[in-house]
Order: sequence, then C-alpha cells, then structure tokens
Amino acid sequence: MDDSQLSLAGVRVLEIGGGIAAAYATRWMAGFGADVVRSEGADGELTGDEEVYLVAGKRRVAADSAELRRLALAADIVVEDQAPGALAATAMGPLDLRAERPALVVVSLTPFGQTGPYAGYKATNIVAHAMGGIMSLTGAADRPPLVNGGSQAFYLAGLNGFSAALTAYFGALVHGEGDWLDISAQECAAGMTELYAPRTEYMDLPAGLRSGNHISAVWGIYPLADGFGGVCALARQIPAFFRVVGDPDLQEERFADPMQRLANDDELRARLYAWFATKTKRDLLELGPAHKVPFGAVMTPADLLANESLAERHFFDEIATAGRPPAPVLPREGGEGRGEGRVRAPGRPFLGLPWRGGDLHEPGADTEAVRRDWLGGLA
Amino acid sequence: MKKLPLEGVRIADLTMMWAGPYATRILAEMGAEVIKIESPRAWDNIRTLIPQPDAPEPWNSSFYFNYYNRDKKSLTLDLAQERGRQVFLSLVAHCDVVIENYRADVLDKLRLGYEVLRAARPDIILVSMAGFGKTGPERDNVGFGPIIEQMAGMTSLTGYGGPESEPTKTGISYGDPVAGIAAVGAVALGLIQRRKTGAGCFIDLAQRETMAAMIGEAFVAQSLRSEGPLHYGNRSPRFAPQGVYQMQGEEQWIAVSVRSDDEWRALATTIGAGDLAGLRFAERLARHDEIDGRISGWAASQLPREAMETLQAAGVPAGRVLDTKEIHDDPNLVARGYWVRLPHPRMHSWRQPASAWRLVEANPQLRRHAPLFGEHNREILGGLLRLPDEEIAALEAAGIIADAPVNPGVG
Repeated sequence: MDDSQLSLAGVRVLEIGGGIAAAYATRWMAGFGADVVRSEGADGELTGDEEVYLVAGKRRVAADSAELRRLALAADIVVEDQAPGALAATAMGPLDLRAERPALVVVSLTPFGQTGPYAGYKATNIVAHAMGGIMSLTGAADRPPLVNGGSQAFYLAGLNGFSAALTAYFGALVHGEGDWLDISAQECAAGMTELYAPRTEYMDLPAGLRSGNHISAVWGIYPLADGFGGVCALARQIPAFFRVVGDPDLQEERFADPMQRLANDDELRARLYAWFATKTKRDLLELGPAHKVPFGAVMTPADLLANESLAERHFFDEIATAGRPPAPVLPREGGEGRGEGRVRAPGRPFLGLPWRGGDLHEPGADTEAVRRDWLGGLA
Repeated sequence: MKKLPLEGVRIADLTMMWAGPYATRILAEMGAEVIKIESPRAWDNIRTLIPQPDAPEPWNSSFYFNYYNRDKKSLTLDLAQERGRQVFLSLVAHCDVVIENYRADVLDKLRLGYEVLRAARPDIILVSMAGFGKTGPERDNVGFGPIIEQMAGMTSLTGYGGPESEPTKTGISYGDPVAGIAAVGAVALGLIQRRKTGAGCFIDLAQRETMAAMIGEAFVAQSLRSEGPLHYGNRSPRFAPQGVYQMQGEEQWIAVSVRSDDEWRALATTIGAGDLAGLRFAERLARHDEIDGRISGWAASQLPREAMETLQAAGVPAGRVLDTKEIHDDPNLVARGYWVRLPHPRMHSWRQPASAWRLVEANPQLRRHAPLFGEHNREILGGLLRLPDEEIAALEAAGIIADAPVNPGVG
C-alpha cells in the first residue's frame, strides 16, 4: 500500500512529554498515517513494555526547547501531557502557539486539568483513577475499592485525546481554526459512571458502592470448570438464558418475574454457581451466539493472541524492538531469557481505513531526519 | 462566536444502550446535529431500564437515558416496515454519518447495509460498533460492556492479588464508553478521509478490540516473555508504597502512591513514620505490609479531603476515592464548572457533566436536554425531508412513527 492513501498522510503530529496519555493519544494517529514525532519525556515515564506498544511507528527526536517550539509551529497537532504551565514556561504556551499558527490543534492531557485547585496535584494512575469515581464502584463490598488492571486513568485520557484531537483537526480543516483542548483524566472518567452517578444525583440516594463480580445473579461473573466467565442478560434475554440453563424451577414466577427475581437473587445465584461450574469457556462461547444469550469468558492476553477472530480481523501488529527487547518491571521466575524477535500487540482499532504498523525506533534516532523534513534542515 | 468542530455535520444515530449513545453524545457536544432514530416497537432500552412506577411517561423521564442522550433530536421510525425504511434512506441522503451499535447481523437484516446506504448517499460514512465486529468467527456473539471487558483481557488483569485472587470486573460496563470514545475518533477520521478523497467509508469497530487496546503492554509481556496476568491489587510493581487506605468516616478511602525516595520521605514524615524514612524502593517493596500498617494507622484518624491536601502539599501523590455522591461536590470539578443543570420538561433539576473535551476557545456548552420520544418527528419529516402533512399522518396511522413507545415495559 502506498502511504499516501492513509487517512492522515501528510498530517504532522508532535508528541511532547510522552507519558501513557500523550503516547496513547498519538499511537493510532501514527497507524492511520500521521507523521508522529515524539519528544521524550522524563526517563522512566514509560515501562519498557509500554514503550514498545505506545511508541512504535513514531519518529523520536532529541530537541531543546527552542527547537521544540519550531517543531510545534510546523505541526498540525501537538499532544502533550506535561504539568500545567510547563509548556508556557518554555515559551510554548498553547495560546501563544495558536496565535502564531491559528490552524494548530493543541491537546493538553493532565490528571486534573489546566485550572482548578488540583491542577498542580501530583498523580500516578491509581490517584487519578481514584478521583474519577469509577474506582469507588470496583471491587468487593467488604474490601477496599480496587484499581483496574493496567493504567486505565491514563489510557482513558489518551483515548479521549486521540478522538478529541482528530475532531478538532477536522474542525480546523473545515473552519480554518484549531483550538486548545484541556482534557483531564478526572473529567474523562467522572462523566462515564454508567447509571451510578446520575442515579445518586437525580434520585438523591446514597452513593452507589461496590458489588464485586455481581450486579445481580443474571449480571455477573462465575467460576467455570476451566476459569471464569459470565452472563449479562437483560429482561428480554432472560427466558433464553434460563432455557439454556435447563433448570425447570427457573420457569417459576419467583425467578421469571423481574421484581420477584431480585428478591430471590441469592437463591438464583446459588443455582447459577452450580450450573456455571460445569461449563468451560468454550461451552459458553458456543452457547451464547446459538441462543442469543450474552455469555462471556474471562480471556487472558494469551487467549487473545491465539484467538481466531482477532487473527482474521488482523488486530495485532508485529513490532520489531530495534534489537533492544524491553525488560520487565519486576523480573519473574522463568520469564527471563526470552524477548528476542518481534512483539505482537494491539494494532488497528477498527477496520475500514488503511493502517500501517510500525517499529520501535531508538530515542533521538530521527532528530536529523525530522529537522530536514519539518524545518528544512535548520538546526 | 467560534464554531465547534462538527458544526455542519449531520448524523443519523441508530445506537442504543450505552456504547453508541455515549459516542453520539460526544459528537453532539462537538457541534454535530445528531438525529436519534428509534422504532415505536424497538426503542432505546435505556429509556425504560430503571422502573419508574409513578412516572406518567417513564420513557421521557429516565435519568439514565437523559444523561447520555442530551443535545440530540428524536425521530421515531419503524425500520422494519418498508415505508419506514424508505423514509430512513431519504434521511440518509441528508446525512454525513450513520452510526449504529446493533448486533452484527441486524443492519443487514433491515436491508440497510453499507451498499444500500451508499446508494442513498454516495459519500456516506457508516460506523458500526458491534461487540465483536462484523467479520470473524465470533461476530455473532452477543455482549454488553462487562462481557466485552471479559473477552478483551481487561478483567483478567484486575484482582485483589494473593493466592485466591479472582479476576474482577470494573464497577461499570467499561467496554461501552471506551468503544464510544473510540467511535468518535473513527467518525472524525472518516470525515477527514472524505474531505481528502471525496469518498465515504464503512468503519467496522469491534468493541472488544478498542477495549483490548487499553491494555496493550500486557500483550507485549505475553508475546515477548510469556508473562500472563498477575494481580497486584492496589499495589504496583513500580511504586512503593502504593495502596488504598481507609479514612475517618464511613466508606472514606484515599489512594496513595510513592514514586521516589523523596516522596517516601515526605510521606513517612507526614504519617509519623520517620523511623522508616530512609527505606529505599526495594526495601519498601519488601516491607510493604508493615508500611501499609503504618499508613493505615495514620489514615484512620484523618479526614479524607484534609489528608489529601496535606499529602499533596508535602509532594506526595494522593487522591480521595470519590464516590458517586462526593464526586458532585469535588472542589476541583466544581471550580472548573464541570457540573451543570439542564432544564427538562418532565424532570426536576439535577447536575450533569459538561463536556470532558474542553475546547478552550470554542467552549462547548450543553444546549438541550435529551429529546422526548419522537419530539422532532415533525421538524425532521416535515422540515428537512419536506414530507406533506398527510403523509406524516399516514406514517403515524401505520405506527411507523409515534410519540410514545408501543407496550413500554421494563427494558
């Protein structure tokens, strides 16, 4: 495929700071054809594995603040996740950049936003996640709130950054003017608590709290014969679900009627624990589409790397790591001595537009080439 | 006034539940004209998912529905009837984007697949958001957010840790909004592509795939070193100590995370553990249980907000675990004007979130409450599509349009 056919061919994106949020926001832009240039952030901001996943396909430069400013003014989109005010301190204030180049889109991703009493607060993923509301709902009722696996607060900010940047860039193409987007991880999460925050607020109820792996018996995760899996059945899907379970007692009014079913949730749950324990992940994944019941299985990354559906959809990219495989954060027994060759990691997020995978470059490896391409060769 | 980025873009919105409506809520916030299409016989379940036994029109007064459907217009249209389908296709001719999150086979069964839409509007952008995509052997799987999360690997990474640790779901249907946000990017990308080439496109977004992309480094660890999921609970392999600690008051918690020796010294001093202030990272990791005990002992007598402010003032990353009530009064969100009230003809005043995408110059504002069922039928059918009054009346008589759902029960 000719790269000029990519949707973002010719679009220049400068990533500054380069933690998870900014790096994820620009990762898909690179895949869809943008020339993403990454100016490194603080050492150690990304783990080795995060670096492979999030930086592949980008060019990497070492630039001082004066040169960075010139790169920013040569870009179409700037994405940064430094502390509020850090850009302005190096004569790169977003509004100043925009005054010089009105079509420029600047996206600033921070834990708590550019303004407000917590703008200067320090945060790791768990701190930002805690302040977004979702964590209060996650985990068991009799245990502390639980942080999600991975770094979801920062990924969520990055995902918003990707979509917001492209939306604003489209606006700049149409209307001639970009904008400065102030996106905070806290606000990204606070407005997506499903029905819980709106219910608390609208009905003036006490806060919604953690319900572990079960919202109800028909909406939860159960141990299986070979792992874990679950069901999420709406009212219209419950008859089919109960037919699949095959327990004749489930046809009784106390389980069939929505309100009575809630009153008998503990008994129903006990029956379902027994039924799920006899099933494997494969059983559930065959029963689900056959009976139009929303069954799922708790799949691991290993399961997904071997998944036929994802393979057919060409979901994974292969990434070369420049002969420098990443070290684990904490070495695990039996986990060392591997790591040569190509990595497989999520690539194209949706089908329908051309995508290109990319390899991992060394930090600073592209400084001269980017100077030539973006600044006409001037250092 | 500066224009919002999507002003001038019109979207036919066939989405329901949460993933799709979350996408179209954001698209509307960004200035698009979003026309939400529901059948009188198959409306958005969210309208009636929460029982409201005393409400005269529960489908119009659901807080759940209103939260995710504001700034949109409502057109009712039974797409299963041929005349309804034809009206929809005539609407598509006036739209830039069609977006849907039906089960993978539904749009084709309605005879509204991409080629049909393209015949109505040659440069249409279709974004489909089926749980597992439109292709592949799992395309017929049925799933909501928690199923997506399980099937994407996310749930396998979350758990309290220890020998009995079980994979744990997120407290929300996390797969939904993640797919919704990604779908907005897909729409924007489609619009950018169309502007460049003049051609529309069909984007096949699998919710499972956008969710799996949120844990990319776990696939690197697996494919490179065969490292499977390991539950750390609230701890971290990089930062120590890190945890969630109970404060004074019921269900009051604070998250604390230490990235450096300096931050640890500040924390140790603040909590009265100066005797441990010299511990380095490896020692803190090894003595994490003991350190947790010291932090918990201090935290139990502290008020959460004051403790957070004290720790942050000392340079320690710390944040309250805000619950669904406290989050509405969080000083930072309040100071930033995050919570706003929108008048509604069937609902009392309440606070809803502003757009998380703060375009500092264009400054998007919430414009309007979620639409009543079929509220914009006449505006769209008579205005945009120029259907005569008698035809609109005929559509109504045939049950193709309506201003109330047929047989509304609990969704």
